[in-house]
Amino acid sequence: MTPRPRPGGRLVRSYVVTDGRARPTRNTLDLITLLTAADDLPPTGLTPEKRRVTELCRHGALSLGEVAGHLGLPVSVTKVLVADLMDSGHITTRAPSPGSSYPDEQGEHPPTARRFDAAILQEVLDGLRARL
Amino acid sequence: MTDQIPQAVTWGLAAALLATAVLLLRQHGITARQRRRNADLVREVRAREEELRHLVSVRLPALADHPGQDVPVIGPRDARIAATEYGRHLERVLALFSVAVDHAHARADRSAKAALQASMRSIQALANEQQISIAEMQDRHDDPDVLRDLLEIDHTNAQFGRRAQAIAVLCGSWPGRQRATSPLIDVVRGATSRIRDYRRIRVNGQIDIAVESRAVEPVVLALAELLDNAARHSQPDTTVEVTVQTVHNGACVVIDDAGVGMDAQAVESAGRLLDGHRTVDVTRLGDPPRFGFAVIGVLAQRYGFSVSVDTRSPYGGVRAVALLPAALLTHLEPDTPEFPARPAPSPEDIPRRAVTEGITEGGLPKRRRRTPRRQVALEPEPFDAEEPPGRSPEENARIMGAFARGTRFGRAAGRILDDDVIAPEPATPHDNEGTPHA
Repeated sequence: MTPRPRPGGRLVRSYVVTDGRARPTRNTLDLITLLTAADDLPPTGLTPEKRRVTELCRHGALSLGEVAGHLGLPVSVTKVLVADLMDSGHITTRAPSPGSSYPDEQGEHPPTARRFDAAILQEVLDGLRARL
Repeated sequence: MTDQIPQAVTWGLAAALLATAVLLLRQHGITARQRRRNADLVREVRAREEELRHLVSVRLPALADHPGQDVPVIGPRDARIAATEYGRHLERVLALFSVAVDHAHARADRSAKAALQASMRSIQALANEQQISIAEMQDRHDDPDVLRDLLEIDHTNAQFGRRAQAIAVLCGSWPGRQRATSPLIDVVRGATSRIRDYRRIRVNGQIDIAVESRAVEPVVLALAELLDNAARHSQPDTTVEVTVQTVHNGACVVIDDAGVGMDAQAVESAGRLLDGHRTVDVTRLGDPPRFGFAVIGVLAQRYGFSVSVDTRSPYGGVRAVALLPAALLTHLEPDTPEFPARPAPSPEDIPRRAVTEGITEGGLPKRRRRTPRRQVALEPEPFDAEEPPGRSPEENARIMGAFARGTRFGRAAGRILDDDVIAPEPATPHDNEGTPHA
């Protein structure tokens, strides 16, 4: 899903994107966390990658995994960026849409769907068809 | 008669004395001339010796020390000797020596460059390979601790690759690595990615100008050398300010450091290297060798941008200005995400273009063929070899289907034919046996 980097590698390396940090300021993010951009904050003073995240999330919610894919950055690096944007108030997160994740008895969110859900798959299929 | 004898003797003696005197006088003149001449000759021999010593100890070493460079040639000591045949021969020796030194030097430089280039190329390839592995690892691992280590390795590897690349460029190789047209800001940040103190670089300025694909890598390399110099020659607690702005016919990147600056001599020698008109002598870059300005000079000359470091920065250090002409730049199309996020359409909104044909066992809709099933043709369809490339998937499917059907049909027909051949076979020996009887 992530576009493979060109053979030469990314021009701007990940450590420049995160300013050398590897640990996001919060550890509540995972691949399916949905991100929405706050409309009221102008993207001034943001790095190009952060500005792109806010642009991507302006029109509606997008999962962190998808954002990473669009940026062509590793998910772990995207998490650092998104956590920064949450700190500055540019991005708000939403709980994953019901159905894509299943809280079990302990209230934990397992990383992958455990059971087969025809409704979600039907939605995915419809979404894909809408692009045809 | 007897008194005549002494008189004659006297006359004779007088004549002899006179002759002797004349001869002595003449001899004296000759001797004096000879002495003068000897003295002259001795002086000249000394002068020649001096001249020869001057040639050997001063002029030739001076030439040997600066081969192929426009150093003022040291002239002869004595202008009078220079005008003689001897002087001209000395000049000829000097000229021959100069040619020999230049040849030897050029040969040494060529082989040094070739050796360096070959080894740097393989090191560069390894660095690139490693960079790809690191990028894959970054994609694969989600643990912040692992990521931190990977970022460190990536950073070191990027600097390592840059060094190899710079030396290879200096030795006449191309910067390599074709890159996509990239925003100037990203080019500057790409250069930042390749230096040690990347966290001290602050990039200011917002312009929507991009660098043409072919110039991305060279500009990145040149800027990386400038940024590295700036960061290296300033205090670790200061920042290096980079300003990107448009100018009359291009764009410029201004790099200011708050370091110690350069003295007039350093600025002058940097200017000579940066203009890139002189061939760089890899064997004379100092110890440790300083590649930076020489590499920038080579790249600037080859790609047509210019770099100067002769201004003082308002922060006290050096201000380096890289001027990129419009020929290397292009405008960036507005940055629109290819698949912008939007609310998921509800199933009712979706036009049911594809009609489902029933449901699978798992409750999923079955995919329907896009084209109605074709009646199996008995005849293979003519295959047009001249058909231009770029067929649609349907067309491809049709052609491949026709081919498959054709071969299937051909095989079936072959079997029938074989049966036909095999069937009358028992009869043939009989026929053969029959003919002699006939």
